[in-house]
Parts: sequence; C-alpha cells; structure tokens
Amino acid sequence: MTWPQSIRIVRPLDFLLILLINLTALPLMLIWTAVGIFLFPALLIILKAATRWNAEQITRRLIWVYGRGWLAIMLPFIRFELIGIKQDKTKPPCIYVANHLSFFDIYCLAVLPYFNVSIAIRNWPFKMYWYAPFMHMAGYLNIEKMSWEKFSGSAAQVLSKGGALLFFPEGHRSRDGQLQRFYSGAFKLAAETGVKIVPLCIRGTNEVLPPGRWWLKPAKVTIKALDPVDPKSYAKPSSHRLIRKNVKNMMIQSLSEMDIDTTMGNTDVPRSVCSS
Amino acid sequence: MTDQQIIDLINTSLEEEFELEKEDMKPEALLFDDLELDSLDIVDLVVVLEKAFQFKIREEDSIQEIRTLGDIHRFVINKKKELNTL
Repeated sequence: MTWPQSIRIVRPLDFLLILLINLTALPLMLIWTAVGIFLFPALLIILKAATRWNAEQITRRLIWVYGRGWLAIMLPFIRFELIGIKQDKTKPPCIYVANHLSFFDIYCLAVLPYFNVSIAIRNWPFKMYWYAPFMHMAGYLNIEKMSWEKFSGSAAQVLSKGGALLFFPEGHRSRDGQLQRFYSGAFKLAAETGVKIVPLCIRGTNEVLPPGRWWLKPAKVTIKALDPVDPKSYAKPSSHRLIRKNVKNMMIQSLSEMDIDTTMGNTDVPRSVCSS
Repeated sequence: MTDQQIIDLINTSLEEEFELEKEDMKPEALLFDDLELDSLDIVDLVVVLEKAFQFKIREEDSIQEIRTLGDIHRFVINKKKELNTL
C-alpha cells in the first residue's frame, strides 16, 4: 500500500509535532474565531465611541488583530522568516500582490505592520458566512461581482485614504507551488492610479495547509517583500500588461531563490522564532 | 496568409499574452469558462489581435457574439477576407 506524500511520516518527532499542532492550534483557532465573532459588536461600539474611526477602519483593525492572534497561536509550530516586510517600501498607499499557495496565506499577511488593508477577492470567500459580514464591513472588494468601473472607483478610494489593496493575481491557490497565470486587475489599477505595486513572495504555507488537506503540519514560512514597482515608469496605454509581466518575472526569480535557500537550509524542525 | 496561418497566429498570440496551455487551445474552448479569461482580459485580447493583424476590430458589432476560441478564428478570417476584397 502506498501512502500519499502528505501523510508519509518518517520520524516520530514529526508525528508528535503534527499531533500537537492539530490537537492544540486547531481548537485554539476555532475558539479565537468564536471569541472574535462574539466580541466584535461590543468592540465596534466601544471603539466607535472612543475614537474617530469609522466602522470600516475599526473592522480592518480588528481583523488585523485577529490575524495577529492566529499567528501567535501558530508560532510554536511555524518558524516565520520575514524579509523586507517592515521596511518603508511596504508602507501604504500601495497595491500588494502575493502568490497564493494556501488558505493560510491570508492569515500570514497579518505580519504586515499595517492594518488599513482592503482585499480584492473573488466571490467564493464571501460565501463563508462566518467571515462574510466582517469582509463586507471592512470594505473588501468582490472583484468577480463588480464592474471594472465600480471596482476601480472603490479601490481608488481606499488608496486615496492612505490604505492598501491586496490581490492574489493568480486567482486560485497553486497546486504545485509554481506561479500560475496572472490576472490583470491589480496591474490595471496600478496603471490607472499611479500607486506603487509591492510584490510579496510566500513560501511554505502549502506545507502547513495545502489545498485539499484539512489538517495542519508544522513548517517554515517565508514571506519576502520585493522592491516596489512604480507604474508611472511604464508607457501607456498598455502599461498594465508590461507591469504584470515584469512583476511576475520578479516574483518567479525571487521564489526560485527562496527555494534554493530552503533546500540549502534545515527547515524540518520549526522554532518559535520570528525574524525580519 | 492562409486560414491555418491565421489560426496559428491567433493561438500563439493568446498563449503568450494570457499564459495559456497549447493543449487548451481548442476551437470549442469557451473564453470565460474553459480558458478562464475575465472581462479585463477581453479588452487586452482585442488589443493583442489588433496588434497581430494590424486592423481595428474594437468597433465591430460582431465582436459581441464571440464566445469561443473558434469564434475568434472565424471572426479574424472573415475580417481578413473582407479587407482583401476592398
């Protein structure tokens, strides 16, 4: 009998860590989510009364805190390596474009030190009824259901208020870790608004939770911010196509360098270390 | 330019622009459902075809009827014939 790759366990320590992460982190995550949903209305009212933030800003801030809580729960099992994340180059207003490997990617992006981030996503995440109200309140944009004019108008508003937009330009999680084709939305928005693009390269989240698997596995996760791309340096009218190709090439190169680093380093034993 | 050369040029142009797989370039392939193009891609598709064949197609009414890759092949072949008879 041949076991699938994902459940071939070689060492007892690996088995123990997998058991531990699924018996502790997974229930804690569910509890953290339930607590967050339960406390949200009260926190919204308190923060609205105590600050000048609007509901959208408060929701984005609380989602960021929720993401940070998620990361704290996972930290004993996942070794995060952050490269260039806390530098000025990632500071909004900007358009983040990240490769997509796992459901876990979106939580990992709480490592960004900025909370004012709206996400441009397809329709299906809005079908998660436990998250959908918060996504609506945070002003996340359903790129599949909006016309381009409506979408770009809303996105430009986020950027003009000093916020950031996050895209997964592949549209789907990659099954083999390789970058898939890029859709044009992020790059067209950059060309129209002149706002910089910050490419984010993610590695390792598909070890933690790949598409099609429901249990977690400890791993090393690396998130690297590449140098921003200035859309104003590209000639119109088809600048978005050139930006898209350039950003994708940058990410391919960076991801392959990250793969080489991973191959050369020992990533088997996770440690609760977070560097940047 | 033969019809086959036109089809090959369309297919290679779209493969390159939208990173499509050669084996997916079947005439019956639906642009949205099978090739997974979106509405922004359709605008780029028009630009790519105009650049490849050096004629304007964005004002053509019949472009609204295009659903499949085969529709694009027929549209461009007919357009080329139409231009050649002028």
